[in-house]
Amino acid sequence: MDLFTKVLTQIVSYTSIYTLASLGIIIGGRTGVFNISGEGIMLASASAGFIAAYQTGSWVMGFFIGALVGAIFGFILIYIHQSLKINQFILGITLIILGTGLSDLLYKSLIGIQLFAPEAPRVPVIKLPIISKIPIISAFFNQDVIVYFTYFAVIITYYIFYHTRIGLETRAIGEDPLAADVVGINVKLRRYIATIIGSMLIGLAGAYLTLAVTGTYTTNISNGRGFMAIAIAIFASWRPERAFLGALIFAAIEVISFQQQLGSSLFPYQFLLMLPFISVLIIMWLFRKKVEFPASLGKEYTRE
Amino acid sequence: MTKSTEDIKQKRTLWQKIIDQLKPYLLALFIAFFISGIIIGLLGYNIFNAYQTMLFTTFYSRRGFIETLIKFIPLTFATYAFAVPFKIKFFNIGGLGQMLFGATMTAIVGIALAKYNLSSLILIFVLILVALFAGAFLALIAGALKAYYNINPIISTIMLNFIALYFVNFIATTAPWKEPFSGHPMTKKIPEAAILPKLFNQIHFGIIIVIISIFVIYFLMNKTVLGYEIKATGLNPTASSVYGIKMKNTLMVTFMLGGAMAGLGGGIEVMGVHLRLIEGFALTSGAQYGIFGVLTALLCQGNLLGVPVSAFFISILLVGADAMQRTLQVPVEVVFLTQAIIVLLIVIFRE
Repeated sequence: MDLFTKVLTQIVSYTSIYTLASLGIIIGGRTGVFNISGEGIMLASASAGFIAAYQTGSWVMGFFIGALVGAIFGFILIYIHQSLKINQFILGITLIILGTGLSDLLYKSLIGIQLFAPEAPRVPVIKLPIISKIPIISAFFNQDVIVYFTYFAVIITYYIFYHTRIGLETRAIGEDPLAADVVGINVKLRRYIATIIGSMLIGLAGAYLTLAVTGTYTTNISNGRGFMAIAIAIFASWRPERAFLGALIFAAIEVISFQQQLGSSLFPYQFLLMLPFISVLIIMWLFRKKVEFPASLGKEYTRE
Repeated sequence: MTKSTEDIKQKRTLWQKIIDQLKPYLLALFIAFFISGIIIGLLGYNIFNAYQTMLFTTFYSRRGFIETLIKFIPLTFATYAFAVPFKIKFFNIGGLGQMLFGATMTAIVGIALAKYNLSSLILIFVLILVALFAGAFLALIAGALKAYYNINPIISTIMLNFIALYFVNFIATTAPWKEPFSGHPMTKKIPEAAILPKLFNQIHFGIIIVIISIFVIYFLMNKTVLGYEIKATGLNPTASSVYGIKMKNTLMVTFMLGGAMAGLGGGIEVMGVHLRLIEGFALTSGAQYGIFGVLTALLCQGNLLGVPVSAFFISILLVGADAMQRTLQVPVEVVFLTQAIIVLLIVIFRE
């Protein structure tokens, strides 16, 4: 494999972290629930998923637990928001802190500090026949199972959102929950389902960090990616296919600046590491007029 | 006769009012400790020992109390960073970055001014201003991005946090500033004249600055037009804009005020505790003061007079958690969890 394909392969792998996380935020957001707790969910799932995979020796179990942790977080968010009318952002912030605390707590008490960082079983890489021989495109099809799942998730979400009745109804809830309720859509239930499914996807992204990218767990492993996923969702105007594009851009910025940091001493490496975060600000500024939001985003819905 | 019964009635209602006010907090604390007690128990630690250490380390020894006060200083500033913009329902999660930037600029200017042999009073005054402005500057970026380009401040402040983190690392490892023979990234010491005097034991002058800041914030919010505008905007942004209060300005001013507080907190850490910029200085119990600031502010529901109270309470827990990790090997993150649960429950019970 030449260097270019190697870097591109890594970029695609990172893309699935961002895609899954922002897809999760988008699915919740389309029903009006702005789930900003992505960072907390990713950290908790990364830790719990790692521990599960390490203890059972199976990466499938790791992802299962990762998604489960995501689902629990999503349930807490939507239950407290829906039943007790608590502001989504305050809840999100609290859940971020909860997840951050939980991730280290679980790891420290169940694995402990060891001389050599324990490694979890990694997700196997599957080379697709024929297509993985074509240059450049091969980088997209020489990947692990979760990356293929990411492609599938993007396509299926796009299809559901724009070609099915359920998708149309979901988008309607995001735009005007009252109108949706009037025509007989169960807004509360839909919000529950969307938030929980979305949080599960974010949980998968968290587990992917430990089970595919690094293979080990370190403190604060998601390093702000949960927040960048929010930026991607906004940049993508809450459309799944654009989120994939946005994820690809951010993954490329991250991987390339990391590669550069190792390579050259021309530029202080700290500024290269800042680059992903600066580019979030720049990209959000550039696209400030083009982005659209679901109208009911972040607002609670009651019948009165 | 009738008057006295009325008096009693009034007294009773006052008592009931106080109890009603306190009830959600006490209930939240009780349940939160119950839940985290279960978690501590499940992880195989002695629950009662853990709680005893967590809650009472501050009061057992003089050292514990001093340690609590030393954590209280930066935590109060970090709490204001969130609490002030929260008055108009905006979220400044950037307390961490503003604190780091305040500290970094204090160290840079302090080192740069070393050769001029300024008197202690002037130098400390200048450095406090630098810290205030640095924090305010970083917060203003987020405030202006929201005011003029409608960019969500939750995201922009968090991005600025990461930028500030790498900036600290850059300053602490690059030539004119770095301490040449140190393993951990840190700058040279700031000049002797810039060091905040110690009041007693380890307690430095920063505690006085905190108390002054509490009064200044209270005065600003309650006795000035600015404070009135902030309050009005918080209660009803549409109505207050009709009456000529400029939303954009209020937004930016509250962010700057919050950021200035965080920046000052960082500057005081440099001038009073570490006497230089050390990477990771804003860490306590494995977490950044900025994060705890958000929690602490949510704990008192953004009530500005409640800030010092809840900051002191959290400081007690933080000192207790450190002791708990040392003596009982319970990971400090338990405190993280407990606090998040407390905040969650308080928010719920207040509704």
